[in-house]
Amino acid sequence: MKPSEIAITIDSPPASPTRTSSDFEEINYPPQHHSYTVHRIERQPEELPLHYMAEDTSARRRVTRAPGHAADSGVQHGEQEWEYDDEGKDAYAKPGGAPKFGGGGRVARRAPPPPPTSIREFVAQNLEHVPPAIYTLLSCWTRFHKIGKAPLVIWDEAHFGKFGSHYLKREFYFDVHPPLGKMLVGLAGLLSGYDGSFEFKSGENYPAEVPYVAMRVIMATFGVALVPLGWYTAVELGMSTRACHLVALMVLFDVAWLCISRFILLDSMLLFFTFLTVFCLTKFHNQQYQSFSFDWWLWLSFTGISIGCVSSVKWVGLFVTALVGLYTIEDLWEKFGDLRMSARTQLWHWGARVACLIVLPILVYMASFKMHFLILNHSGPGDAQMSSLFQANLVGNDFASNPLDIAFGSKLTLKNMGWGGGLLHSHVQTYPVGSNQQQVTCYHYKDSNNDWIITPRWDEPQVDLNGPIRFLKHGDVIRLVHSATGRNLHSHNIPAPVTKLNNEVSCYGNATLGDIHDYWAVEVVDDLHRGSREKVDRIHSLTTRLRFRHNALGCYLRAANKPLPEWGFKQIEVSCDKENDPKDPYTYWNVESHWNDRLPKGEVKFYRSPFLRDFWHLNVAMMTSNNALIPDPDKEDILASKPTDWPVLRLGLRMCGWGDNQTKYYLLGTPIIWWGSTVSLIVGLSAFALYMFRAQRRYVDMEPREWDHFLYVGKVAFFGWFLHYMPFLIMGRVTYVHHYLPTLYFAVLMAAHLLDHFFFTSKRISERTKSIIFGTVAFSIVATFWWFRGVAWGIDGPIKEHWGLGWRKSWNIYEN
Amino acid sequence: MITVGVLTALAFALRFYKINHPDQVVFDEVHFGKFASYYILREYYFDVHPPFAKLLFGLAGWFVGFDGHFSFENIGDSYTENHVPYVGMRALPAILGSLTIPIVYGIMKESGYGTVAAAFSAAIVLFDNAHVAQSRLILLDATLIFFMSLTIYSYVRFRKLRYTPFTLEWWSWLIATGVFMACTWGSKVNGILTVFAIGAAVLVDLWDLLDIRPVQNTMDNFYRHFAARAVGLIVVPFIVYLSFFWIHFAILVKSGPGDSFMSPQFQESLSGNEMLVNSHEVRYYDTVTLRHKDTKVFLHSHTERYPLRYDDGRISSQGQQVTGYGHADENNWWQVVPTKALPETGRGRIVRHNDIIQLLHVNTQTYLLTHDVASPLMPTNQEFTTWPRDDHSRYNDTLFYLYLNGAHEGEALRTKSGHLRLVHVPTKVSLWTHREQLPEWAFKQQEINGDKSPGEKPATWFVDEIIAAEDGEDFLNRTSAVVTNEPKPMNFFKKFAELQLLMMQHNAGLTASHPYASNPINWPFMLSGISFWTENADQKQIYFIGNIIGWWTCAVALSVYIGIIGGDLLARRRNETPVPEPVRNRLWNSTGFFVLVWFIHYFPFFLMNRQLFLHHYLPSHVASALVAGSVLQFLLSDSVNYPISVRGLYTHPKPRQYAEIGLRGPIVVAVFTALLFGAFMYLAPLTYGTPGLDGETVNAKRLLSSWTLHFAAKSTA
Repeated sequence: MKPSEIAITIDSPPASPTRTSSDFEEINYPPQHHSYTVHRIERQPEELPLHYMAEDTSARRRVTRAPGHAADSGVQHGEQEWEYDDEGKDAYAKPGGAPKFGGGGRVARRAPPPPPTSIREFVAQNLEHVPPAIYTLLSCWTRFHKIGKAPLVIWDEAHFGKFGSHYLKREFYFDVHPPLGKMLVGLAGLLSGYDGSFEFKSGENYPAEVPYVAMRVIMATFGVALVPLGWYTAVELGMSTRACHLVALMVLFDVAWLCISRFILLDSMLLFFTFLTVFCLTKFHNQQYQSFSFDWWLWLSFTGISIGCVSSVKWVGLFVTALVGLYTIEDLWEKFGDLRMSARTQLWHWGARVACLIVLPILVYMASFKMHFLILNHSGPGDAQMSSLFQANLVGNDFASNPLDIAFGSKLTLKNMGWGGGLLHSHVQTYPVGSNQQQVTCYHYKDSNNDWIITPRWDEPQVDLNGPIRFLKHGDVIRLVHSATGRNLHSHNIPAPVTKLNNEVSCYGNATLGDIHDYWAVEVVDDLHRGSREKVDRIHSLTTRLRFRHNALGCYLRAANKPLPEWGFKQIEVSCDKENDPKDPYTYWNVESHWNDRLPKGEVKFYRSPFLRDFWHLNVAMMTSNNALIPDPDKEDILASKPTDWPVLRLGLRMCGWGDNQTKYYLLGTPIIWWGSTVSLIVGLSAFALYMFRAQRRYVDMEPREWDHFLYVGKVAFFGWFLHYMPFLIMGRVTYVHHYLPTLYFAVLMAAHLLDHFFFTSKRISERTKSIIFGTVAFSIVATFWWFRGVAWGIDGPIKEHWGLGWRKSWNIYEN
Repeated sequence: MITVGVLTALAFALRFYKINHPDQVVFDEVHFGKFASYYILREYYFDVHPPFAKLLFGLAGWFVGFDGHFSFENIGDSYTENHVPYVGMRALPAILGSLTIPIVYGIMKESGYGTVAAAFSAAIVLFDNAHVAQSRLILLDATLIFFMSLTIYSYVRFRKLRYTPFTLEWWSWLIATGVFMACTWGSKVNGILTVFAIGAAVLVDLWDLLDIRPVQNTMDNFYRHFAARAVGLIVVPFIVYLSFFWIHFAILVKSGPGDSFMSPQFQESLSGNEMLVNSHEVRYYDTVTLRHKDTKVFLHSHTERYPLRYDDGRISSQGQQVTGYGHADENNWWQVVPTKALPETGRGRIVRHNDIIQLLHVNTQTYLLTHDVASPLMPTNQEFTTWPRDDHSRYNDTLFYLYLNGAHEGEALRTKSGHLRLVHVPTKVSLWTHREQLPEWAFKQQEINGDKSPGEKPATWFVDEIIAAEDGEDFLNRTSAVVTNEPKPMNFFKKFAELQLLMMQHNAGLTASHPYASNPINWPFMLSGISFWTENADQKQIYFIGNIIGWWTCAVALSVYIGIIGGDLLARRRNETPVPEPVRNRLWNSTGFFVLVWFIHYFPFFLMNRQLFLHHYLPSHVASALVAGSVLQFLLSDSVNYPISVRGLYTHPKPRQYAEIGLRGPIVVAVFTALLFGAFMYLAPLTYGTPGLDGETVNAKRLLSSWTLHFAAKSTA
């Protein structure tokens, strides 16, 4: 068999000369590892020579392995005796088969060189940093080139620019994304001297006083940093120099990454922190041979901080967190099987991970929210999403001046205390189903239809404005009169429109017409400041948690984030729950606004709000809104795309108007990179399956170290891609092509890894061929980028005059 | 033998007890009873489930003399008043449900567990209120579960013969697995999960066969194994599955309620179908009505105009309104006007696929037109309006391509059967509508607009009828040769493919909310049941809920199993072997297989968006009962019956060993069975729907607060 043939068979292996480990030039193998390798190879009677021992350029592939690491897999091969019954071949528990992280891919550690004494020496020592430096400079050029060309609000700058302004104006707003990224936008605005006065209306021209170019440049700086991060990650993953160049080139020349980095958006930061997390993880992996050293701790905690940051920019960051989690679980599982490690060391390992990868990120995440709350201390558009108590502490909010005690005759609004609850609301529209009476809903915005008046029962004397004030107490039976329409809050034995098992709640009657179905018993749950029910003498606004029991039916007023259909304007359904669950927060209400001229005004000191409560509340509200972003089947959103469109680049995204006189930006990947990386995922999986099949037929294609390296990089790339892609397939919310951008990174790593595996580190291929392959790939990347550069740098003039950009018919680059 | 006899006898007793009660339609008998009557009447119907189990019901009904003339319209309709021999039909699932018990017992025995463990598993299914309730009614699940357990049984038998491959016995059990698998899948859509479960087990099996050890295992040997399984578990089941549909189509030859789901070609293969009876070719200058396929509205126009300014501030063309209207009206009449020269007479005047036409609104003498003005409700779509006949200034905007769906070149447009799309020539938008009403100014009629890239469904229209021909000619008989009433045959495979696709689409489309639908996470703990039937007079009700002791035991058994396996993995990682090798193999391979079956029949429901009910868990529940038996065996004894597989040529004999269970085994099982029986009896009034219960008793039977029983007494909390 000629060594140059790539003959892959699954049939019986041909006899071939046995190779011994001394064929390799070995560096510093620790003794027991050496013996292990020999042992392994002696156990394999037949073997296929896969590569020719002529030359080996990549010194990275032969590296020292940490002592004690290899021992684990040796144990597994001792058993596997054949038994007559019930499976000696224990398929479900086959230990060798399960893919593992850990193992290969470590970069050789050399002793640090002596400090340079001359410039020449300095250059010689840092020669390896020259290519990334050049790429970084190139990256600055691509990212900053003509960055201010379109002087108008492009695409989601309308959102994120606006949120940045809110930080500068310190007004509270609500958004589905965590605050870190937007705070950085605000910081960019601050640094470039922006005062926060601009509204960022979509498509509007920037006025002279908005330094949008400076802000964009700051955002683009995060994009610039992707390139060196890509390079050094490739280095840390143990790729050959050529593969490192390819990773850097792909990161540098992908037009989608380029385009998204050039505007005031969160994505450049999200990408930056995603890249950073992978980089820290690989860096940490390479420190594993010296656990608990300073560098080990350093990179472990950097990984944790980076996780915290990426998750604080967008929740998509949780996917890369999951990758780190998987890596850690496998790593700990390996360590758990290391019988020579003392229990104490094991515990240290566990503790270190818990501290650095769980506690630290959570602290970072919470710190970003703390900052958020500290900065945004003025009332703003997002108030209604928060608890009443939180709102009372915002400057410019009048809740704090609410009279403290609730009395009969008070006009008030009632806020549901379930996570993301709204205000009890009614409007003149009626239910089209059930009783056809006036609708009662929960509404999130301030409106006079939210006002209710505490009124005595029909059989009691009505409120006497000159008589003594009657305060509301636990157990009082009252009517709630809707202030705008004069109707009474009412419930009856008719199924609610959405939650059919509950009773419908409506507004019925008027000031004279009514019945006992208008009676509600007020039950105090507790008071946030004063504690349990026994300590609550009078009901306070904001802090007292109340429930309303329907006096006739015994059911409880409840609103549980179930939206009504179109006829209810998608507001939240209010129903009356027959099950009495005293722990159900969706039946808890508190008084939010409270007006009563006869009572003294309150003060802020009555209404302090604890941080953790606000933090949790805001997160749940974000989650609820995020889940509510579901596609509307009636409206076709031309910007949205399906996850299945992304790997094949079926659609791009128009980021701005498409008029002939406008500068046009089209969010589209460099096709060759997107398609190539997708193909590489399939090839990678197939190669893995093939190797597994051959292993099952007892061929040995690679020595263990090579196999470990192949698996390690493959796993980082594949699971990274998978974890960033699958969730989008499952979740129901609207998805856009830019959601694939973090995912793409892992596909790119896979592409480089496979080129590395099959070509650049292959021992069958000559250097010349390798160079040709590298040249071809690199050239096609650069050429495609150059062809498509316009979509990221801006296309001027009628789009029809720019020929050759419609590589797929589905791209709406030319026409709708 | 005695054990299994007693268990089976008990099973029959419990499932047949008062099977004639209630003598009313219960829950989904509404559907499945109806389907049985369609088979007897030979009328075509459409359902999301494959036909095997329903065919059996049809057969049972035919057997006991049911004439099919009862429509099972509502829950609570009386059988006795309508003389429906419903007991005979209910007997079928009751028999299959009862026979499931000995099969469960058999699976356990064949897998090498002791009588005690086998009886334990069988008792969990035997005394289960959910299984009993489901088996006593005309529902598909009993059939599904029966064939599912038979599949598992056959596969276990097949596995035991793995050292003597390619023998007659080996082949028989392989084929049996395949056939039963097809029956499972043919009973209900969920049956496909059984196919996946067996498939997963076979893949693991094949992976082991790929291994070159211990004897020189050649690739040829592997290919032989692979081919055998492909035949037994893919080809054979597929043929069986196809044959169900073949019978289905062979029986249902008349037009029925399922027609409108199918394509025109399909409908024309049914005798008495409207398309066959009333389908005519349309000629130019015919006056026709156009109807929307999905929402059934007519294309309509009237003299009222669009308001100049809409509520959201957008501006209209103020042209004549074009809307969708649900009722017959003269304003629905349109004349098809050609854009090409026509011959004086003959077939050249027929409207054909790909023609460019104009549509003239007869009452106002205006042409249908669309242009680049936003529609009233959707700013992204184009407005439709009309334009006076004499004004030729906008001639181009009145031109429409007429595309017939799935037509060949030059196919004639026919009423009813020709599904068409109208695409505007200059702007390429399609005539499109959706269930959105226009405001008061258009009398709340349905909006019609032009959509650039519509889905197939909302853009499909058909010519409902021809109102008049050009010169008052008799359009019914002008082509006497074409009118035929013979059904046109259609290729079986085409029919099969079409029906499969529709079944899948409709299955995924069952997303409407239902008060008794539940989330899969609740199922193992049985947090909520389904109210099948109620009778107010005697306060009787059938509430579908399992035996709480049995179900919770199964849930505990599954967690214990996961605990054992987890502990074993951790221990082995630390190089310790707390579980002896034969026991461990049994745990991984046999119990592991049951857990796999449980998992595959359970987990996919988490990914589905359709309505889900507790009874979807029943197959998994059977699997979890098997797991419970195995776990009991493991807890009772630290040895197993061994070996149990048939010895082959190359296998070394091993000393036989038997599990030591001792006396505590039977005692534990006896006590447990007594408990099960007690719980069963306690819930029995809810399962059998008799006797009636007063409010206090209902409250007492409501073991979990999440059960929504009827007739509960007012809580005094």
